[in-house]
Amino acid sequence: MDRDITTISIPKPLAEKIRTRIQGTGFRTVSSYITYVMRQVLSKVEEKEDAKPREVFTEKDEAEVKARLKSLGYLD
Amino acid sequence: MLVIGLDGATWKVIQPNLENLPNIKRLIREGKAATVIVKGKPLSVPLWCSIFSGKTPEEHGHEGFMINDQLLHRDDIHLDFIWDTLAKKGYKVFALNIPFVLPPYSFRVQYKPVGYGLPETEEEWSEELEEVTKCARKILEQKPDLLCVVYTLLDRVQHYYWGEKEVAEWYQRVDVKIGELLKYDTKVIVLSDHGFCDFNEAKIKTLKRAVMNGRAVKGDHHEEAVIITKNIFMPIKESEDVYYAIQNEFKV
Repeated sequence: MDRDITTISIPKPLAEKIRTRIQGTGFRTVSSYITYVMRQVLSKVEEKEDAKPREVFTEKDEAEVKARLKSLGYLD
Repeated sequence: MLVIGLDGATWKVIQPNLENLPNIKRLIREGKAATVIVKGKPLSVPLWCSIFSGKTPEEHGHEGFMINDQLLHRDDIHLDFIWDTLAKKGYKVFALNIPFVLPPYSFRVQYKPVGYGLPETEEEWSEELEEVTKCARKILEQKPDLLCVVYTLLDRVQHYYWGEKEVAEWYQRVDVKIGELLKYDTKVIVLSDHGFCDFNEAKIKTLKRAVMNGRAVKGDHHEEAVIITKNIFMPIKESEDVYYAIQNEFKV
């Protein structure tokens, strides 16, 4: 997936700040640091999106589903 | 990759009506068609669960929509489904209207199932056909790595109309929608969870009584399920193989 890359613009002062920050770390380029950070951020965001709140399904909905199950003969 | 589930679809209807089902016919010609024999009870809830989790019904233990008069939700089922597995690896995956819980489950899709996933009338069957297709097409426009989508209506149609001309007519309508979705992808699985047969021939009665919504039940579930694949390397012999066949395509 990494070989399929594109160019993204960021402010120069931010790039400089990152360049300073990654000195002496395992990150060899500003791009690899930004890729790492963005992956972390997006995976957290997606995790949150995937955790569906139960409240979406109301008691009224629950009653309606049970009524349908009954009329279709799945329940006594 | 595209996986289209047709709850209750059977070769008993597809085979004799193949000339009127051009999209299924073409898919069979371009791919491979087979029958999966369900070894346990031919029930939708455990089978869809097995299909998308890779676990047998004995392994996952999820048997029905309810336990102790309480409806089960996705969070009550402690399984990783194929969309969970692939999403963790960074793939763009979606699931739409998967009926192992009620209302059917969707992953990364905002979708309100018609009739809470239990469409009862012809109007609701039509609505499900239209709405699921519309939503699926919207997802497919985004070029996902995987979309799993299930239409539930054929199960209900066959319970009511087994042995009558209406069944083949509804298959034709479903075939048109399958054709719309097949335009988007070349790696495809079309499958059913179980087959169908005459109510009196069914080894296991899936309903508590022979009347559904005030109407006599004419058909019931059968253990022979449909599987059609195109450009899928791994053969699918059991319901749970579907999970591994998909996984294998992504080399994860």
